[in-house]
This record gives sequence, structure tokens and C-alpha cells, in this order.
Amino acid sequence: MTIASSSPPSRLPVGGAEGARTTPRTRAAKAREGGGDGRLAAVFLAPALLGFLVFLLWPTLRGIYLSFTRFNLLTPAQWVGLDNYDRMVHDPIFWDSLRVTVVYVVINIGVQTVSALAIAVLLQRLTQSAVLRGIVLTPYLMSNVVAGIVWLWVLDTQLGIGNEIIAGLGFDRIPFLNDETWAIPTIALINVWRHVGYTALLLFAGLQAIPNDMYEAAKVDGASEWRMFWRITLPLLRPVLAVVLIMTVIGSFQVFDTVAVATNGGPANATNVLQFYIYGSAFGRFQFGYASAMSVALLVVLSAITVLQYRITRAGQTDLG
Amino acid sequence: MAAVTAPPTRTSPVSVRPLRRRPSVGRVAAWVVMAAIVLVTLLPFYWILRTALSSNTALAAHPGDPLPVDFTTGGFERALGLQSTKEAIAQGGAAGGLKFWRYLINSVVVSTLITVCQIFCSAMAAYAFARLRWRGRDKVFGLFLAGLMVPTIFTLLPNFVLIKQLGLIDNLLGIALPTMFMTPFAVFFLRQFFMNVPREVEEAALLDGAGKVRIFFRVMLPMASTPILTLGVLTYITSWNDYFWPLMVSYSDSSRVLTVALAIFRAQTPQTGYDWSGLMAATLIAALPMLLLFGVFARRIVSTISFTGVK
Amino acid sequence: MRIRTVVALTGALTLSLVSGCAQGGAAGSGAGSVTYWLWDANQLPAYQACAQGFERENPGLDVKITQMGWADYWTKLTASFIAGTQPDVFTDHIQKFGQFADLDVLEPLDDLGIDDSAYQAGLGANWIGQDGHRYGAPKDWDTVALFYNKKLTEAAGLTADRLNSLSWNPKGGGTFEKAIAHLTVDRDGRRGDEPGFDKNHVKVYGLATGGAGDSDGQTTWSPFTASAGWNYTDKARWGDSYAYDSKTFQSVIDWYFGLAKKGYLAPYTDYTDGANPANAQVASGRAATAFDGAWMISTYYGTKGLDVGTAVTPTGPSGKRATMMNGLADSVTKNARNKEGAKKWVKYLASDECQKTVGGYGIVFPATPDGTAAAVAAYRKKGIDVSAFTEPVTDKRHARTFSFPVTDYAADVYALMRPAMQDVFANGAPVSGLTKTNDQINFILGQ
Repeated sequence: MTIASSSPPSRLPVGGAEGARTTPRTRAAKAREGGGDGRLAAVFLAPALLGFLVFLLWPTLRGIYLSFTRFNLLTPAQWVGLDNYDRMVHDPIFWDSLRVTVVYVVINIGVQTVSALAIAVLLQRLTQSAVLRGIVLTPYLMSNVVAGIVWLWVLDTQLGIGNEIIAGLGFDRIPFLNDETWAIPTIALINVWRHVGYTALLLFAGLQAIPNDMYEAAKVDGASEWRMFWRITLPLLRPVLAVVLIMTVIGSFQVFDTVAVATNGGPANATNVLQFYIYGSAFGRFQFGYASAMSVALLVVLSAITVLQYRITRAGQTDLG
Repeated sequence: MAAVTAPPTRTSPVSVRPLRRRPSVGRVAAWVVMAAIVLVTLLPFYWILRTALSSNTALAAHPGDPLPVDFTTGGFERALGLQSTKEAIAQGGAAGGLKFWRYLINSVVVSTLITVCQIFCSAMAAYAFARLRWRGRDKVFGLFLAGLMVPTIFTLLPNFVLIKQLGLIDNLLGIALPTMFMTPFAVFFLRQFFMNVPREVEEAALLDGAGKVRIFFRVMLPMASTPILTLGVLTYITSWNDYFWPLMVSYSDSSRVLTVALAIFRAQTPQTGYDWSGLMAATLIAALPMLLLFGVFARRIVSTISFTGVK
Repeated sequence: MRIRTVVALTGALTLSLVSGCAQGGAAGSGAGSVTYWLWDANQLPAYQACAQGFERENPGLDVKITQMGWADYWTKLTASFIAGTQPDVFTDHIQKFGQFADLDVLEPLDDLGIDDSAYQAGLGANWIGQDGHRYGAPKDWDTVALFYNKKLTEAAGLTADRLNSLSWNPKGGGTFEKAIAHLTVDRDGRRGDEPGFDKNHVKVYGLATGGAGDSDGQTTWSPFTASAGWNYTDKARWGDSYAYDSKTFQSVIDWYFGLAKKGYLAPYTDYTDGANPANAQVASGRAATAFDGAWMISTYYGTKGLDVGTAVTPTGPSGKRATMMNGLADSVTKNARNKEGAKKWVKYLASDECQKTVGGYGIVFPATPDGTAAAVAAYRKKGIDVSAFTEPVTDKRHARTFSFPVTDYAADVYALMRPAMQDVFANGAPVSGLTKTNDQINFILGQ
């Protein structure tokens, strides 16, 4: 159910470091090419631009417009000014769902990034097996819905094999998806399971670009693997890591499917993540104006976080000469 | 020795050799971790298979059995629609099975349409952003990138209304259309690659009198075949697994794709709890084409993905 | 508007490029066809049989049935109203009725001549909107009863007669609480009513859990709240306020979920929608009994290795037993392409003839008495005694049936009550907190 692909979006940020920047070019180079390729560019760009304007930009603008209206989907939208935003600011469920979402993102991204990094380094420094790389990617072949269903089955308090094993070892069963403290971490980890191989592979790609002689030289100096990781791998991987982080955080904020399948927002709103609340308002309660206002809030949050991350991690720069 | 350093590719033995000399405690521990990762990754898949081959009415009584409970292929039969309703109900399963082949073809058509068109259009745009000079280029590119941040739920309804106005409801084209022309990511990904192609390659072709259109088709696209393959397979997986949008657009078997069919199968007997064995069988069946596709391309993807790494 | 034109143009262009497949025909309804949606796959064969009968009687008309899972059914229906691809006729649920009536997407069915008295009591009246028009034709009904694992009840010395004559009250729990306490066994084999019972390590719970019950408690707490004399709203239909703040309601809820604290009722953590519902708890031997609906009969009886029986709900402080009696209906959409055919089909669906056909499949209880009788006979042929479900409907002296609350904003009520009830059951929040939720609900209703 990809109303929003949770965790890393299905977009692969390998290309990397320069992000939105263009290659620095001299005036001379520009001059050499003459007046530019305006007409050709227009032709090349036309289909993508059409898709962008029609299926991305226009819906976004329309969504922003709808956030100022009262709209039940079936009768024409009525302009209500800032009513929806006023309601949002005073809606404790909205704030709670924002809090839940942030907790989810922190756990999901935290665990995912660390384990992806570990896997990537293992795949680079321990073994170069392509088979292993293939294996870690397999969960990504399942859709979010399927991943959610499978784990719901595996983690069930009474019937799940996970709890059978826990009980077999003599521990108390863990209500993974039925307890307010466990539910969000569980959802976050389910999504780590599905996406970590993919993220690891992206980081692995970044690692491959680190010249091997740097490790060789460090080795000669008697550096340990641990030390090399901190001194070579991490600093040189930073630009890739930054791009991967931005992408995965954007995806993570839009978690929906797993919640819809595994917990339905419960228990007692413990997993009522923002996108789930938005969805319920729009399609369950026909309050599309209000849902749009919350979507705008989500858009603002995502933009702010992206800009912030970009700044903090200096994603645009690379340490690699 | 360091002089030999070939561009580090995945098979480069150089990075492995020094490690192999001393199988330290750390190395053993690292292998243990790796084994654990593989186990956690694959165990759920075994459990899917085990459940799929179990009898639904007996599952609840033996939650911990490592082998299929009361072995039966009934789950698969139900999922494939080979079982009569009566049999299905008697086995505690959902009655309306999947018209597997029909949905498979639909899924293939939609995913292929999206993948081919999206990558071709995105590649053209990426080339325009990377190698053509025109006014406002960086601003337009920035706008494209900003598209990454738009929550999916935002575009859902307007796009739905649009598809309706185009008369493409319950049509495979209607499912494909919104992502057929581009995704910000595809453009970003390919632009990054094109920018890393040495300028000299292009200039040499220019000297030979080739136009930019020719260069794009004859030089750039072939050079980008590996990242395009990678992107292609990932796009294919994504569109294959997409659920909510096809659900909105599809109304009948003529446009129902596998994910939607699977979800409908899941919720067929609303209050009785899932038909677990049928569901798991259906899950496997729906994922099988992806597993096969991945099996064929896996080696190339996992190795070429590094090729496009940061330069 | 400008953008729209451009969009339409480019759209038309794309369309012409890929022409042919574009005309796929949204719901594929020709002149003489009627599209019909339902969500329960198990009922599909029964309605296909009905459709055949209908087509025989009405040459030139054919019924196209689409079945879709419950979870997606309503989203899809909503989307179809927006897209104008709605079915001509669809299976309607009373909880959604208010919303659809409010959105003005249903066609009045007054001219069908539906006679309320031709159906089981109460089924027809529910589908009259606030404007006095009828929007649904009665289709079927279900009630709730106590399913029990015969092996466990016999081991506990509880006969079928005993189980059919239980009573309860919110103070001491009555014979009902005694029975489920006795059915509860801890891991050392001690029963719930024996000294030394370890409520933290229960092997078999007396009663399975069906979750927190959301806003209706259909198969959880509603048999108790109703037999204590409580009603959801101030009026039978289209009430203006809910009564979740009532002392009676809250004390019953407190007692009911309190059973879990005593170890007799399976805790909230045992329940997972989809994975481990009440019937799975009984099937796995984790619970001895469960309140469940008539739609579950074939599931319980079809479970391998489970010898199951059913009993009526316990008698409450009001002196009567109570069960929700919920009825589905068929509704025609306002913009149905084939309205005339749609109405004919609905009339046929509501007829004794079709309902007897459906009853013959022994899957649901059709709304007409003859249809119900056909279903009872079909169940009997399978060796299943369904009197625990039918008795409350006929025996008005000892039993009371009630319906889902029919009000506006049912979706909002659900969205507020669901987490609130879960908070009580799962997190042990005090029942008095429901008063605040009730205030919020009534505020929305008062808008």
C-alpha cells in the first residue's frame, strides 16, 4: 500500500554528493558552446516536465488550496480561510500523532542507518560476496503491506513464532504490536527489516568509491579496522550518508502501510502516525480540507528537515579531493 | 603494489587479501554478526512458506511447529483460484481466489509501461539538466528536486480526479500515467551519472560532427546502460509493489494488478481473521516474479550499483 | 481553469496515442446490466444464484457482481462516488449509512413497496433516513452468542443447559462470572475459582477477547451494557447525543474489562485483528469460550479438532438477555447508470424468493422469516444448531435485541471511541475518562 512508501522512499540516492549543484564551469566553457541549447532542451525536457507539472506540481498546489476549504469530496469545496489550520493547532490528536511520527522516525532512521552502515562495511571489509549482497536486499522485494502482514503473523503475542521462541526460552511473551510502549519501536523495526538491505547497498556503493590505497596505507601504519572505520570510512562516506539520510528521513515521515496493516493506529493511538491520521480524516471522515491542511504541515516539516539536514551534514561537499 | 590499484570494483581482491591473513577474534565476531543478519533477513521467508503449506484450520493449534502443520497445498490452490468455494470454506479459507494469470499480465504491463517510459523520459530530462545549456536550468532542476518532499497523500486525490476526467479509470494506462513521465528521483539519479561522464567523450563525438540528439542516443544512453538497468529494476520493483494507487484506479479484473488482488484476497472474510495459509501462498506467488527478476539481475544490480557511486 | 484546459488537452493527446484501451468501460455496464458490490466472498455464490434467478425473470437484464474485501470496500466506494464509477447497487452497512445519506449519494427506495412487517423486526426501520425516505432494502441479519469449546466446558462440569441459563450483574458478576472463572485454568492446573489461582500465568482463559470493542462493542461488551438497560443514544435512531458518560455504561465496562484483571478474560495483548481474533484463541485452546457473531458459525464449526457448542448471552440486571441484531441492506446509488434495473434488482434481493435461495446456502440469516427458516434448515443439515442466534429474535419475553447506533458522524464517533476504549482495556485507564470522550462526541453531533 504505497500511499507513502515508508522508510527510504523508492528512490535511490546514489548519484550523490553534489546534490542540486551543477558542475562548476567557467564562462569560457559556456562561451565555447555558444548561445545554449534552449530549443533542444525544451524537447528533451518536455515529457518529464509535463509529468512534473500535471502529476506533481498541480496536485500540490491544489492540495494547498484545499487546505483553506471545507471539502467533503463529493460537494464543491467551500473557502473557510484559516479554519483548518486553527483547528489543527488546537487538535491534541494532531500534535500527538506528530510526536508519535517523530519517535518513529528517530528509531527507524537511527537503527536503520547504523545497521545499514554496519552491513555495508561488513560487505566491503569482510566479504565481497555478491550473493550476500543479494540476500540482504530480498526483503525489499516484498511490498510494505506484505512485510506488515508477515510480521504481524510472526510477532503475534500468542500465535507468532517470534513469541513461541521467546516463550520457549523461558521469557515472558512480548506484546510487540499490542502494547503502547512496544508498538512504535516494533513498527519501526519491521520497516528497518524491509529497507536496511537497500540502504546498506547504497552506502556500500559509496564505500566502493573510497580508494583502497587509503586502507592499505593505514594498515601499514598499524591501524585497526575499528580505527580505520572512524578515520577513513566515516569521513569519506559522509556526503553519501547525508544524501541517503535525507531520502530515508523523507520516506520515514510518510510511514503508513505498515501501521495500517499491523496496528491500525492502536493501541489507544500509540501508533497513530501523522500520515495515518491524515488518511483517516480524508477517506474515513471525509474531511478533506482538514486532511490537506495537515498534509501541508507535513510538507513544511519535511522541507524544513531537508534544508536543515543539508546544511548540517554539508551534503553538498565532499572530503574526497 | 599500490600502483596497481585498479578502480575499486566489488571484485577487487586487493581489499580482501590483507584481511584474510589473520582470522582474528574480531573477524569471527564479524562473521557471526553477518550470519545473524542473514538469518533475520531470511527466516520470515521460511515462515511464509511453512504457513503457506499448512492447513488453515490447524494453524492456531500449533503455532510453534517448525514444519508445515497438517501439510496441504490447499493454500496455493485457493490463491490460484483452483479451489471451489465450497472446498475453500471447508478448509477455513477465503473463497474467491486470484485469477493469477490475468493479474500477473496486468502487473507486468503496468510495471513495464512505467519503467520504460519513466526511465526514458527521465533520462532525456537528466541529459538536459546535465549537459545542455539553457536559461533557468538550475532553478527548474531545484523545483524538480523539491518534488521529492511532496507527501504522496497530497497528490493522490487530484490525480485520481484527473485520471477520471481523462476517462482512464479502470484502465491500465490510468494506473501507469502519474509515474510514467518522471519521478524526481530518477531524474536526479541519471543527471548525476551524466554529469560524471567525462566531457571529452562528448566533445570527441561533437568533433565527429554528431549532433547533441545523436550524442544522447548513441553515446550517453549506451554509456549509462548499467545505471539505467539498476534504476530500471528498482523502478520495476516499486511499481510492482505499489498498492494504493492501483486500488483507487482499478475496478474490475481487466485492470486489477497482483498487489490489489492480494489485498482483496486478504480481506475477503472480514471478521473471521485471515486465511493465513492462503494469504501466505498468495504472497509468495505475488512475489515470485520479483524474486525471479531479481535472481536474473541481482548480480548485475548489486555490482553495478557501486559503479554509479560518488565520484 | 487554465491549467485544467492544458491538462485536458495533453490528456486527450495521450489518450489518442494509446487509443483503444482507453474505452475499457469503467464499470463495464451496458444498457441492460446492473452492477452490484458486496464484500463477503463467502456469500458470493449465494448471490450469484440469486442473480441467475433474477436474470431468468428479467430477460435483457444481467447482474455484474464485484466482490471486494471489507478493508478496501468503503475507500473504494467513496472513490467511486467521486469518479462517477459507483455501482448501481451495493451492500450497505448501518454504520456507514448516516454518512452516505448525509453526502446525498443514495437513491430513495420508497417506491419499491418494502413492507417492514415482511422482515424480522427492526430490520426495515433502520434504513429510513432522517428525511423520512427509505434508502436500503433489508438483506440479512446476525446476532451474537457464546461459542464454547465442549471439551473444556464438559471438563469443568458445565452442561449446555447451565450455559444457556447464565446471568450476570456488575457487582458480583453472577453465575456468568463464576462459570468463566471456573473455566479458567492456570499453568499449574488450578481453576480461576480455586484458592492459589495464579492470574498472571493463565493457560486457558475462561473468555476470549475480541479487543476493546470500539464504539459499539458488538461482540465484546454490548451484550452486557444492553442487558443492563443501557442504550447508545438518546433515541432509537438518529439520536442527538451518545451516552458513554452514563454511570450504568461505565460501571459495566469497568466490570467487563475488570474480568481481564482477574485473569478470566484474555488480556488485550492476546487479541490481534486479523491474526488472533476470538475464534483463533478458542481454536488454539487458549480460551474456553468467546462471544462472536452469527457470521462466524461456519468458521468455528469448521475448525479442525474443535468440538464447539453455542449458548445464548447471559441474562442481565434488566431481567433480559441482550444481543445486538445487525442487519445489512442493499442500497441504490443516486447516480446509478441503470436506475430502473437497479431498483428491480434490489426489489428482487429483498424478495422472499431470493432470500430463501441465499438462506439455503447456510451462511447468513436472510431478513425474511422464510429466508431465515431456510438458513436454519441448511445449518441443521450440516449438523449445526443455531437456536442460540435465533432465539433472542423470537423470544421477546426473555431477550432484547438492539441495533448499532444510527447517528450522524458515525466515523467520528468511531475514531474517538476506538482509542478511548483501547486506553481503558489495554492501558488500564479509568472508565471515568470516557465522559470526556463522550463530551467530544456530543459536541461534534451538535454541530
